[in-house]
Amino acid sequence: MKSYILKRILSLIPVLLIVSIVVFMIIHLTPGDPAAVILGPEASHEDVKQLQEELGLNDPVYQQYFHWVEGVFQGNLGDSFFMDKPVTEAILEHLGPTISLAILSQITAILIALPLGIMAARKRGTATDQTFMGLSLLGISIPHFLFGLFLIIILAINLRWLPVAGYKPLSAGFWEHIKYLIMPAIALGTGQAALIARMTRSSMVETLNLNFIKTARSKGLHERKVIYKHTLRNAFIPILTVIGQTFGTLVAGAAVTETVFNIPGIGQLIINSVERRDYMVIQGTVLMVTLTYVLINLLVDLLYGVIDPRVRLKKES
Amino acid sequence: MEVAVEKRRELSDFRRDINRERRRLFVRRFFSNKLTVTGSVIILLTLLVTLLGPLLSSYTPYEMVVTSRLKAPSADHLFGTDNLGRDLFARVVYGARASMGVGLSVAIITSVLGMIIGLYSAYYKVLDHVLMRICDGLMAFPAILLAIALMAALGTKIDNVIIALAAVFTPYVARVVRSAALVVREQTYIEAMKAQGASSMRIIWGHIAPNTLSPLIVYSTFIFADAIIIEAGLSFLGVGVPAPDPSWGNILFDGKLVIFNAWWMTFFPGVAIILSVLGLNLFGDGLRDLLDPHTNHAKK
Amino acid sequence: MGDHLLEVNNLKTHFRTERGKVTAVDGISFHVDRGEVLAIVGESGCGKSVTAQSILRLFEEKGVTSYDGEINFEGKNLLKISDSEMRKIRGNDISMIFQDPLSSLNPVFTIGDQIMEPIMLHQKLSKKEAYERAIEMLKLIGIPAPEQRVHEYPHQISGGMRQRVMIAIALACQPKLLIADEPTTALDVTIQSQILELIDSLRQKLDMGIMLITHDLGVVAQHCTRVAVMYLGEVVEEGDVESLFENPLHPYTQGLISSIPQLFGNRNKKLSIIKGMVPSLNEIPKGCRFAPRCPFADAKCMNEKPELETLDHNKRIKCWHHQTIKGAVSNAT
Repeated sequence: MKSYILKRILSLIPVLLIVSIVVFMIIHLTPGDPAAVILGPEASHEDVKQLQEELGLNDPVYQQYFHWVEGVFQGNLGDSFFMDKPVTEAILEHLGPTISLAILSQITAILIALPLGIMAARKRGTATDQTFMGLSLLGISIPHFLFGLFLIIILAINLRWLPVAGYKPLSAGFWEHIKYLIMPAIALGTGQAALIARMTRSSMVETLNLNFIKTARSKGLHERKVIYKHTLRNAFIPILTVIGQTFGTLVAGAAVTETVFNIPGIGQLIINSVERRDYMVIQGTVLMVTLTYVLINLLVDLLYGVIDPRVRLKKES
Repeated sequence: MEVAVEKRRELSDFRRDINRERRRLFVRRFFSNKLTVTGSVIILLTLLVTLLGPLLSSYTPYEMVVTSRLKAPSADHLFGTDNLGRDLFARVVYGARASMGVGLSVAIITSVLGMIIGLYSAYYKVLDHVLMRICDGLMAFPAILLAIALMAALGTKIDNVIIALAAVFTPYVARVVRSAALVVREQTYIEAMKAQGASSMRIIWGHIAPNTLSPLIVYSTFIFADAIIIEAGLSFLGVGVPAPDPSWGNILFDGKLVIFNAWWMTFFPGVAIILSVLGLNLFGDGLRDLLDPHTNHAKK
Repeated sequence: MGDHLLEVNNLKTHFRTERGKVTAVDGISFHVDRGEVLAIVGESGCGKSVTAQSILRLFEEKGVTSYDGEINFEGKNLLKISDSEMRKIRGNDISMIFQDPLSSLNPVFTIGDQIMEPIMLHQKLSKKEAYERAIEMLKLIGIPAPEQRVHEYPHQISGGMRQRVMIAIALACQPKLLIADEPTTALDVTIQSQILELIDSLRQKLDMGIMLITHDLGVVAQHCTRVAVMYLGEVVEEGDVESLFENPLHPYTQGLISSIPQLFGNRNKKLSIIKGMVPSLNEIPKGCRFAPRCPFADAKCMNEKPELETLDHNKRIKCWHHQTIKGAVSNAT
């Protein structure tokens, strides 16, 4: 297990290297001088010069890169030019809503996906199975921001059940907090649910055809136990992988959904910064979200060992 | 002599029969799957609308009529009008060009690039290490986030949307091609060809490449669909196809501002997106089942 | 009649497939008594395994599988009882072991867990008592250091050990009938005989009936009391082991026996093979199912279906010409 963890962590090094280079390059890919682009067309020549100096744009590119990476390791993502504060601070301010939304969406997704996927697998080939899988294909085909817009028209504008948009922090009370997140969570969770449900079904179907399921049945176990104990546990690794991946995309997908519902999260911070050409913030947030995504996937890989003894005990036997 | 010729003819007849039988079976199985057929019909209709767009509407998508702003759907304006008094039907139909155009271009570009990268990494071990690490790095970004970041860097322009999405999706295609190519590469006959001195060019493009085509076609259908979704997302956020050119995403962007009094501005472009993406997904799913019945049925 | 442990009457198992209904087991009858070993022999695809799994109703996919006939076990027709009654019999009164022990054990649970599962389920023992039973079982089947083994996972032990563990699971509740579906096919030859010896000794200890499914006639000759030979979903011949080997009546049985290589005796004698291939279940011959491959077949065989006739000495045979064939074979040898 130890060597498995170590190997997995070491494999992250090249990935992180590429990620950091790509993120660093964002500012340098812009056509024209970054400092001039940041300041806009009305800026004076002196201002541009000064900003170039501040951002270290006159150094050779590799030096700028090392300088930037050094900063990242010290938790310094630079300063937001527009907001006049450190990027880390801006990120922390916007973190709460995104985390709430991502967790709520993930819970929604899993609560929809697992029962439907398992049911479809148990009734494979029947009308129920085909209906569920048809629905899941529809779920994959609807962009979540679009689903969000439809939900607003139906649930908020026509039925007036829920507030159209906005956000209340948890400190405003649990229900207030949740009320504003229900639609975004459904919008974001449904598409992920479709992906998880499809993987659950196919993984369960594959496992149900394995011989040890026959053994479990021949012991006299109830079908419930065959499904939930013997099949699910074995089918869970691919399901968990998809859950991990969708959780990562949730954090990013929240960017668009937050715009739909005016939620002041990381997504909104990125989009606003793109409009303001606040490159330091774009770099910082893209880096942080991607790191989160990478770490979640790492965590999932490490969980394989917990689920499957063949992974855990590989090196010892 | 006579007999040998006869034999050879028999053999080639036999081969032709087998191929014909295979094609017949493929066509029959294709049409026996209702979902696949539905998907193809939807795609064909969407492509038709995209190409024939100008003939379908008497309005242009840019003509603003201040007096007829935000009119609900009627016989005059089939889908209603938008906040600037432009005919929404014309905008959705013309928007298909941007949305489907981006989707198709991205699918084609990623297929070509992905195929080259995938084939050469499968063939050359050293190249493989370098290219695959780069792919892993790019795949570590959530797709939409990388697209936003690249658009922020490149600037909002439809060409840049295509470039950004091609950069986002090429690594995934390269992975698919590479794994299909690796299977072929391990076959004994490839070793035999090498021993006989066949050029690597001929082995790669003549023998390995054809075997990667069916997974590639299936996968690029899904890329087509995903590119439509992400383009819509980018344009909806205001970092995709810039105004005044219509795309389904930026019509939604306009529609969001007036969502309280003009549901049609969200509904019609929304349905256009769902239909085209659903059509592609249905088609891709069916195609995969036909070409390779053993793969996982979950998407990707 | 009712004194057999297991009595199968005219059992049919149908599957609904894309190409229509397929009858994998077509009207077979046999019985197993306490303490005896019945072998079911035949080529792969003849319906042996389907028969075995039908007895425990392991094909439960509704709308796909259907059964006809009777499976009487201790006077109860297993095809008529409810699902919950059936579950009380599975693993408790009737147990089963399968061909490939690695894939038949659940990879994510320890050996101990898997042995304890039926014990806790059927005998309502506490976890601790079940654990002690599991250790006892491991000792019984001859696994060294059982206290350590219970905590190990299937992939950590050898193939022979795994099959022993399967046997321990199957016998944990001391069943009255054990169905062993090709239990040694996936194992090394040296391990094979150990496993069969073990099953045999446990049969004597526990006085169970065994239904041994195999294609290995050597195994049959050594370990079984009676044999039923299956061909294409039907029983074509049944009888005591001695009489079957010494005096096979059905041309198919004769073919099977003469295709065993002889270690002693006339080594120059050519091994005979049965011509042709087993036809698929979609294209079952109209008359006798073996007729297309049978050296003795005539027009009658091609067109009319023979019935299973009962002869003396518990012998049953399904062949139009068994009397003439008997003479022909004994003359030839």
